[in-house]
Amino acid sequence: MSKGARRRSSSHVRLILLLLFGLLFAVIGCCCGTYALLGSLLDGKDETGPAAEEPALIVAYSSEKEPMFTALVEGFNAQGLETADGRPLRVVALRLDPEEMVEAVLDGEADFQAITPDSSVWLGQLDAGWSEKLGDEGAAVVGETVRYAVSPVVIATWEGLAREIGWPERAIGWGDLLERARSDPDFKWSHPSTSSSSGLLATLAMFYAGAGKTRGLTVEDVTAQDTLDYVAALEKTVRYYGEGNEPALIEQALQEGRDFLDAFVVQEQMVVYFNTHRRPEQERLVALYPAEGTLWEDHPLALLETADLTPYHRQVFAQFREYILSSEAQQLVLRHGYRPGDHTLSLTGPDSPLTAENGVDPAEPMTSLQVPNAGVIAIVRDVWWYTKRHTNVYLVVDTSGSMRGEKMTQTQAALRAFLDQIQGDMERVGLIEFDTGVRTTVYLDELGDNRAILEAAVDALYAEGDTALLDGVAEANRQLQRMGDTERINAIVVMTDGRENASYTNLQSLIWDLTENAQVPVVVFSIAYGDDADMELLRAISEPTGGQVREGDLETIQDLYKILSTYF
Amino acid sequence: MKRSRIIFFAIVGLAVIIVIGGLIWSRVGKQEGEPLTPEVGGDVLEVYVVSALPIADWVQETANRFNAEQHTLEGYPIHVTVTPMDGLTAKGRYERDEMDPLPTAWIPDSRYLVELVNASYKERLGRDVFLTDGEYRARPLVISLLAWGIYDSRAQVLEDRFGEISWHTIHDAAVAPGGWAELGGRPEWGYFKLAISNPRKNISGLAAMVAAAGEYYGKTNITVEDVANPEFQTWLGEIMGSMSDLSGGTYTVNDLALFGYTTGDAGQLLESDLLVNMQGIQTRWADPLRIVYPEYVTWFDFPFTVWMGPETSALEKNAALEFQKYLLSEEAQAQALAYGLRPANPNVPVTGEGSLFDRWADQGVMGIIPRTTAMRSPDREVLQALLRWFDLNVAGR
Repeated sequence: MSKGARRRSSSHVRLILLLLFGLLFAVIGCCCGTYALLGSLLDGKDETGPAAEEPALIVAYSSEKEPMFTALVEGFNAQGLETADGRPLRVVALRLDPEEMVEAVLDGEADFQAITPDSSVWLGQLDAGWSEKLGDEGAAVVGETVRYAVSPVVIATWEGLAREIGWPERAIGWGDLLERARSDPDFKWSHPSTSSSSGLLATLAMFYAGAGKTRGLTVEDVTAQDTLDYVAALEKTVRYYGEGNEPALIEQALQEGRDFLDAFVVQEQMVVYFNTHRRPEQERLVALYPAEGTLWEDHPLALLETADLTPYHRQVFAQFREYILSSEAQQLVLRHGYRPGDHTLSLTGPDSPLTAENGVDPAEPMTSLQVPNAGVIAIVRDVWWYTKRHTNVYLVVDTSGSMRGEKMTQTQAALRAFLDQIQGDMERVGLIEFDTGVRTTVYLDELGDNRAILEAAVDALYAEGDTALLDGVAEANRQLQRMGDTERINAIVVMTDGRENASYTNLQSLIWDLTENAQVPVVVFSIAYGDDADMELLRAISEPTGGQVREGDLETIQDLYKILSTYF
Repeated sequence: MKRSRIIFFAIVGLAVIIVIGGLIWSRVGKQEGEPLTPEVGGDVLEVYVVSALPIADWVQETANRFNAEQHTLEGYPIHVTVTPMDGLTAKGRYERDEMDPLPTAWIPDSRYLVELVNASYKERLGRDVFLTDGEYRARPLVISLLAWGIYDSRAQVLEDRFGEISWHTIHDAAVAPGGWAELGGRPEWGYFKLAISNPRKNISGLAAMVAAAGEYYGKTNITVEDVANPEFQTWLGEIMGSMSDLSGGTYTVNDLALFGYTTGDAGQLLESDLLVNMQGIQTRWADPLRIVYPEYVTWFDFPFTVWMGPETSALEKNAALEFQKYLLSEEAQAQALAYGLRPANPNVPVTGEGSLFDRWADQGVMGIIPRTTAMRSPDREVLQALLRWFDLNVAGR
């Protein structure tokens, strides 16, 4: 064979080999594709979908223990534990209101496998709902439960005030607090709504007091007219309610001191937190352990025995349980001011912050109020909507041009969520829009009459023009002052995403009208929506009224409105 | 055959081998990655055990030792995986076919629960799923009985006033209109508060109600008629009305330690739990806890029960029996003493090194209880009558 023929033959072979390798890759590609398809069918799931995400045990937690619980989760994940086949044993913490935890599980929409609400009361509610849903008396969804941190619910008050009413010489009770609230019109106190256990406790304590009992509360007791009148009279003395976000409450107490509130219902841990963070010149808070008895926030961590629970979730739960009961984690719990679940850890040791100096007493409480059965609790929560101090609240909404698009869509969803959260039809809600001008879109009226009108008005909101923020708040205040309703909480919830640039009203006159010139006290809660909102201006409006400013964005605006709804 | 064809078929063959190999490797790998699935997977016999909570720590520790010792059966290594699960939750999951994976063996608190699950399956399948006799019958592993745990300060007041601690004493304390102040205790103690488990959540609550009925009637065999007696119901209702939490939460000795006398002055609870928590109670609350044995006593024997359905192979069932044998060995039984559990193996005494029965003897715990009457296991109808009564009269359902 000639050299040229050999070269040609050799290049043919190379070409054939090249083609064959190409074919090899094509065959492997096809087989892999077929395998992926078969694998997906065999496994019954789409590997590219959410199931392909990194696995984790998702634990829904209630907000009051966020610093402590997230620290525990971080500590656990930092260990880098794995299953036998190399999957990470990971916990993801999901912040959720206890009431929402219960609803999500009962609606079959829970995207979490374990919960740690503030109290076991919610576990009872959950199981009661679950057995009702399945029509099986014995059915339970709450599985293995562990308590890693507990804290009694107390009345937090200023030391000077506590001494005035007899502390520490005698035990102070709910009756003392309620008597003080009734007899002193300047007395400002607050308890959270019944969606948190400290709020539920305060409410139960009032119903017990109204019924003249400390145990054996029945549906008949709760619905008796005398009891309802008693509770309603006391609720009228409440400054405003709250979401049970105790850290936010304590932060405000740290900022405002005694001007904030005279007394409020929180877990003992918050008193420790306040006293370990207060300025030296600031007055101490002390924990009053009610003489009639109290309840405990016992922060149970419970596995949910749903049909979707996998062996992986069980394995993570078992490891997480072990971790949070470990000496390291329990010391962390104690450092945060909780009583650790490990009861061999002394509360009076040198590292314990549970001291008289910090306003608490580890030997207390001496007794507890009886937690009624789930049926009575459900009635108390329902009836509370009728006995609570009612509200006149104006939603003042920025509809300037900068709110166009996703911002407005999310705001509309948030306003609808706000309305959904307020279950009582006797609450009065109105809607004011501001852009270059101000419009009262829906006048204040009871939700029983105007809920549908408000929802339609929210759907029709449209963004255009400048930002007459001060005029908007001034208009809401004018209408509330004109009503002159001192029986109810009067409030404005104002939201803006930008800076004031179109009002006739100036800030000084607005603050004058909201405070010294006001016939009825009006509390202004402000939402700074996005980075461009004028925080300073909002603070200047809200703080003199005893209100708060919260920052929100596209992700959080709905939650924020839902949280604020609990204040009313 | 031309060389190019040989190369062609070799390459295609190689591709097919790679893909099939990958497929097999991937599937096998996946099975190894799900260690809780009970099957003869590869070379390992997996035994999946669901254990009642009061003994779960002991069972887990024993399983760890068993696994470390690398036991085999017919050449296959045995591996035991333990899942703690409350007995009533497990019963519900069996009845709703939600046990996934299906355990090879179940250790409930009491044989009551085995009978209830068997009854449920018999209705559906016409056969028992757990055997009560023969080689695979349920065998008790350890024993723990229900005893009174009462804070010392409260016990002294009750003994001064009533002479002894009994259900009748507890009843009288529970109905005292003036609470502890009337009984001779301190007014700040409030009312008497009973600490027992919710019978819908924890089988020990049901056992306590059976014990109360035994004392009320002075007999060991309770009938449905006894439960339906209005006078008994009033008496029991007055006792249960002093529970501090009627909302449906569970109440365990751990709670008695965590919340102290705040939520429970005294309660009839599992002896092993009382012993395990005794140190914690002394550390957390200045008032120590005293153990008192009731006249009519109920107990749990934690039977090891092997699933008899076709879902598990004979080899797996026998592997489960190997673990059962190990749990009953003298060494494992002696370890149970450190958990406050009484050995089922008669060769192992209650006292000995690490025994909580020795350690807390001064608090009233006894290895041999001189004066008690054992309650007979009530039948299913009696248990259901008690639960129905509880639901309607206490839980408010």
